[in-house]
Amino acid sequence: MAAPEVHHLFHHPIADHSFSADRQTLAIARDTQVELYGRVGNAFKLKDELKGHDKLVTSVDIAPNTGRIVTCSQDRNALVWEPSPTGYKPTLVLLRISRAATFVRWSPSEAKFAVGSGDRVIAICYFEEENDWWVSKHLKKPIRSTITSVAWHPNSVLLAAGSTDAHARVFSAFIKGTDQRPEPSPWGERLPFNTVCGEFLNNSAGWVHSVAFSPSGDALAFAAHDSSITVVYPSAPEQPPKAVISINTQLLPFMSLFWNGETEIIAAGYDCEAFRFQGGEQGWQLAGTLEKAKAGGRPGLGDEDREESALNMFKQMDLKGKVSKDDTMLKTVHQNTVTMLRPFEESGGRVTKFSSSGVDGRVVIWHT
Amino acid sequence: MSQSLRPYLQAVRSSLTAALCLSNFASQTAERHNVPEVEARTSPEVLLTPLTIARNENERVLIEPSINSIRISIKIKQADEIEHILVHKFTRFLTQRAESFFILRRKPIKGYDISFLITNFHTEEMLKHKLVDFIIQFMEEVDKEISEMKLFLNARARFVAESFLTPFD
Amino acid sequence: MSIIQQHTQATLSDAWRTINIDALTEDSSVNFDVSTLHPPLPEISEADARAINGQVRQLLRGGDAEGALRGCLEMPVYAGSEAAKETHLHTVIEVLQSIKASEMTPMLQRIYGQPGGSECLDVLMKYLYKGMGATSASSDGSGRTTPARAMTPQATGFSQVSQRPMAANESTGSAMSVLLSWHEKVVEVAGLGCIGRVMTDFRRV
Repeated sequence: MAAPEVHHLFHHPIADHSFSADRQTLAIARDTQVELYGRVGNAFKLKDELKGHDKLVTSVDIAPNTGRIVTCSQDRNALVWEPSPTGYKPTLVLLRISRAATFVRWSPSEAKFAVGSGDRVIAICYFEEENDWWVSKHLKKPIRSTITSVAWHPNSVLLAAGSTDAHARVFSAFIKGTDQRPEPSPWGERLPFNTVCGEFLNNSAGWVHSVAFSPSGDALAFAAHDSSITVVYPSAPEQPPKAVISINTQLLPFMSLFWNGETEIIAAGYDCEAFRFQGGEQGWQLAGTLEKAKAGGRPGLGDEDREESALNMFKQMDLKGKVSKDDTMLKTVHQNTVTMLRPFEESGGRVTKFSSSGVDGRVVIWHT
Repeated sequence: MSQSLRPYLQAVRSSLTAALCLSNFASQTAERHNVPEVEARTSPEVLLTPLTIARNENERVLIEPSINSIRISIKIKQADEIEHILVHKFTRFLTQRAESFFILRRKPIKGYDISFLITNFHTEEMLKHKLVDFIIQFMEEVDKEISEMKLFLNARARFVAESFLTPFD
Repeated sequence: MSIIQQHTQATLSDAWRTINIDALTEDSSVNFDVSTLHPPLPEISEADARAINGQVRQLLRGGDAEGALRGCLEMPVYAGSEAAKETHLHTVIEVLQSIKASEMTPMLQRIYGQPGGSECLDVLMKYLYKGMGATSASSDGSGRTTPARAMTPQATGFSQVSQRPMAANESTGSAMSVLLSWHEKVVEVAGLGCIGRVMTDFRRV
């Protein structure tokens, strides 16, 4: 296993990150703006800043094929940034929500995107040719609280959403005229807009931080604040699921997860490192961490970090009049909560590399 | 450190570490606002079960967690009236300077002597384990401070009394 | 006569400024009844709780401390009267107090290894916190109420001899140290996730 590639961009939380299809451009949600970094050799250099929001940008997503960037923010707006020869051109989306927008993702078809919000709705946005702007339809029932994350099914019709009311739900986000009629799946056959295909709660509840469909779309995983991961296998429409497997861990809660094939899930969160889960319909278990835990001689730590600890050392000497053992550095690569994981490189149905970003301002590219 | 203090502080440490899992969360009630939910109490679903850790009746810690903030209230040991006064003066001194003492709450919760309010912005800026260390260190030191002050007060009282009584010798 | 003077006493008060308008809006998040999120839990009466207490005591007398512990952790009182919850809390504390310190960790590891064990330890953790919360407030493990506040006015604080109100707390102190040492052991076995689940779980004991 090769060493992870660490990019320490700044000292500020990264709410979300997204790579372009060629992996040469990296979009980072930083405070009220989105920063675009371009790859120069082994590093990422600041290229462009997308300014348009006036509150914290909560989520950013680059559509792989069209190159459009969608961002959403706590100022209740979402913007679509269209690439043009003179730079990115923003278009405001009519979200019609009155609370913060919390999460945004392009559908795999790239014809629409979903915006989760604190207004207890999910806005499904699509482009209306006649009026030349992005309009939205609301998924409302039965959401009871803020949406924390959404994830698209590979068929671009089904949408999973996690919420602070402790439920993970699967909806149909079928838009007439935009979408093809989907193939019947275990989730449902006829899928008019706002069909609830599943509603899941795990035993000890807790807010759902992240949801994800498996690559085939026939299983759903979600991570909740009770330090658990739950995997749901649906059986048939309108039927109780075949299996609902909850794994309660000894760790702190997970903030983000993704599927690596059908038999592996990688999750990371407040423990500042990524963990691997393995299993299937019969059961899942924690298979261990992705970090080689060893103190000292950590790979990929740049000069900046050493400088940081030197600064801390003098601070310690100044404040306490003694040099305490250096415990200001965590033993993990990320120095604070990991908030987002995304697949980075795939081959043969497996994720071979994935990227993570966290509150510590680092983006790290890992080998699975 | 006395025998029963260690498990007490250990319990506080682990509870705090588990509770300090905060994320940025915009208010659901007020548009374009971002407030500590544990103080606003406007969305019951983002508040968690409060935890109490007690060493005995006079020493306990209350941890009230929520999605973007936690409130930690400490009841400091007060064995008699002097300690009561000393604790009161001591915490008042601190809370009056809450401005430059980021995580201190200006007013303690009812039934407790001092309260801290840690939000997601604090955990973003500061290392979480250091914040926990700080609270633990504070709890360790404050008992020491109070008993030292009390000893000093008693010693001083005795000295003054003696010097007043010398003429009658 | 100015307009102001026409105000009644009621309008002059500024009580209207503190009206929580969010509470009056029906679909506001303030009025979110969290209990509607999940199916109702079976209610356990005080008599049932006492019956469990009896069974657990029998197991204890028979020397099967682990069975007793598992027994009371598998039947937590989530829904029920205060008295039933109180009774069950005393049952759990009784079991905990009867187990020797050296047996704690191996016993917890055995329970954790069994199917459903992780859930049992979550329940145990809930009772530990409840125990600490309850004992510090009113009563100790045996149900005997102790003075709510030991800070009785004393003749003089300078006196070094007669001022040991802490002595009255010795019993609660020792009950508490049992809970604290259990807390430490449970965290060692079940990790911090266990504390997290105490906080998130809507099923409160």
